[in-house]
Amino acid sequence: MESKVCYVCGKENLSKDEIGLIKKLLDKNTKRFYCIDCLAEYLEVDTEFLLEKVEEFKMQGCTLF
Amino acid sequence: MIYADNAATTKVSDSVLGKMLPFLQEQYGNASSQYSLGVKAKRAVEQARQQVAVAIGAEPSEIVFTSGGSESNSWVIFSVSKGHVITSSIEHHSVLNSCHSLERKGIDVTYLPVDSKGRVSLNSIKEAIRSDTKLVSIILANNEIGTIQPIAEIGEYLRGRSILFHTDAVQAVGHIPVIVKELGVDFLTASSHKFNGAKGTGILYKRNGVSLPPLIFGGEQERGVRAGTENIAGIVAAGYAITESVTDMIPMAEKLSAFVRTTIRGIRAKIPNIIINGDENNRLPGMVNIVFDGVRGESLMHLLDLNGICVSTSSACSSEKDEPSHVLTALGLNEQQAKSAIRISYGRHNNMDEVETIVATIYNAYNKILATRNQTKGELEIT
Repeated sequence: MESKVCYVCGKENLSKDEIGLIKKLLDKNTKRFYCIDCLAEYLEVDTEFLLEKVEEFKMQGCTLF
Repeated sequence: MIYADNAATTKVSDSVLGKMLPFLQEQYGNASSQYSLGVKAKRAVEQARQQVAVAIGAEPSEIVFTSGGSESNSWVIFSVSKGHVITSSIEHHSVLNSCHSLERKGIDVTYLPVDSKGRVSLNSIKEAIRSDTKLVSIILANNEIGTIQPIAEIGEYLRGRSILFHTDAVQAVGHIPVIVKELGVDFLTASSHKFNGAKGTGILYKRNGVSLPPLIFGGEQERGVRAGTENIAGIVAAGYAITESVTDMIPMAEKLSAFVRTTIRGIRAKIPNIIINGDENNRLPGMVNIVFDGVRGESLMHLLDLNGICVSTSSACSSEKDEPSHVLTALGLNEQQAKSAIRISYGRHNNMDEVETIVATIYNAYNKILATRNQTKGELEIT
């Protein structure tokens, strides 16, 4: 599987949830990835809030996660 | 939270809630019971039937309460047992999927195209009619783009012909004037939760003299045409909600239209290449469907959600699927454009401050999404 790196902090091996979240929230074909903390900062929300969203998307059956 | 998805559902108004609550805990009788508690429930149902009838210019005997708009639509469509049905390509799925079911039973269905604004033409109906056409079903106001169809014109043409005419008026009732006699329809569908009533209560107008075989069998509720213990609280809510909506319909429509104008103007000033779907001169007052070129509507919707704003990517009933909206593609949009649309639908509880917040948040979200397209800063991808 392709490994992704956070565009901001350089964190390597982003998790499937982190990659899925970027695709879901920003762009399915994005070339820029963020770890969940940097994504939260970029979107100006709490990390915990994004984690809750991940669970919501999983509950909805989203195949990105 | 800013709720701007009133085409999906609406908040029950405080006054309506106050009217329905007693029927859940104090006046909880079954309307079929013979003792006083049941008689009171029955009386409440009949009062609601009267309120609904007055609101749409019908007789109380022409109003049947159902579980929702989907049941009402399915009921009418499934009443056709042979011949030919005409509908449009931009109907709600409760009509389209019912028609697909008829086709599997060997009944022919014609799905009329619409123009780029989402309008069905009377001429296309004239051309589609066959000697065995039994039913025409055309949505009054579309649930994704709000375009209002020439239902009265179609009704006038069909009058005197042996073809039944149904309109799905779920998005229209309570928002624009809907008088069944003026529309010339035999059946009309409405749903209480679309006009600040409660979920779980639908309305079917069935013109006196027209027969409709039951869809649900059981007891003698609803004069024997729709079995099942009545949802008294929901029916009471429907009666009060429709009365409330009709009472202030004109000023409310003006308010909602102003919200939509402000939204379009505000967004267009910052993002000039947006496309407004539907008929700008003939659509529901509180609804606007906008294409943001190059950005997925789903992403925009989720970023708005992160900011506490609720809008829709398409019809709420299909938004879990990753297919372009059948309504938007019917207008001629390509798949990418159709997936780049969001629907904003304002309601009576919104205000202009919220509208301005929505405009600003959309612009911010749009830019955040676009920024991720720029692959810069020496990004490293390891495969």
